Amino acid sequence: MADFSDASWAKPTGEVVDLIQVPAYLCRQTTVLRAAAETERPVHLKKGQFMSPWNMKNSVRKLEAAGNDQVLLTDRGTFFGYNMLVNDYRNFPIMMETGYPVCFDATHSVQMPTSMGDISGGQREFIPYLVRAAAACGINALFMEVHDDPPNALSDANTVLDIQYLERVLAHAKAAHELRLELLDKWGEDRVHLEN
Amino acid sequence: MSISKTDHNVSDVMLPLDKVPVVTPKSLLKETLAEMNQYRLGIASMVDDAGVLLGIFTDGDIRRMLLKDQKPFPALFADDIQDHATINPAMISKDSPLAVAIALMEEKEIWDLPVVDEENHLVGLLHLHPAIKAVMNL
Repeated sequence: MADFSDASWAKPTGEVVDLIQVPAYLCRQTTVLRAAAETERPVHLKKGQFMSPWNMKNSVRKLEAAGNDQVLLTDRGTFFGYNMLVNDYRNFPIMMETGYPVCFDATHSVQMPTSMGDISGGQREFIPYLVRAAAACGINALFMEVHDDPPNALSDANTVLDIQYLERVLAHAKAAHELRLELLDKWGEDRVHLEN
Repeated sequence: MSISKTDHNVSDVMLPLDKVPVVTPKSLLKETLAEMNQYRLGIASMVDDAGVLLGIFTDGDIRRMLLKDQKPFPALFADDIQDHATINPAMISKDSPLAVAIALMEEKEIWDLPVVDEENHLVGLLHLHPAIKAVMNL
């Protein structure tokens, strides 16, 4: 998977990836969405930090209008004042109303945008908590960036997870996911108060 | 001014299709409100790709929705109108006598009736004011 930030880069990117990613900041940009759709690859569409979950439907419809209905929507956190993000887990069921699967990006959710002067900081120590909660809430996929030497990672050094912790984080996610499925089986779907 | 029995048909008095709000199931609520506002009518007719009438959305539906739905306005505006429309509404044939149409509006306590052809394609809207005007020879 790889993303692109100029519409002209979509075609060559699409030739070498299995999944083409639309960057969160560009999730509304029609030319970028159309270019991603036209690669005919499944599109990994990241919800912008500034976007409401219900407005992602507009971006999805732009992809569909360009002939692509293979979409994975991802929540990577929402702006919470300056230099901070928050995760609103209502976004998962709301974005699922589009009919497409929804993914949680644990790495970028703990980012603190441009908090370190000219680069983004982050609090990777919160990744396990957010992942476990997201899996229990209900997601279709999980996105994480991992590295064997995070301080020296070339990208997102402040948020990548040390690979030594990957197995335990995934084990928690899997267990939370399976418990959720058990509960759904026993109690039925989560959607209550539909009259509201 | 006089009141007379009318031999008008619905098609004589209805508003034509290009003068009424028409939306499709995936029109956004906000687009629907804009249509209603543009034509200054309290009803939008929802049709499929072939123009067959599927439902309506009215000013009354807006009122009821706002009292019931706790979503913030931006979220409501982004909803598909099919999520809020009344499906299979009352409708009237373009060839029906106007008196029959008015009686139906009286029975249902409504001010607008979508007008359809034999295959339920939307062809116009019967609005109460022109109907009364025709009956009262105004």
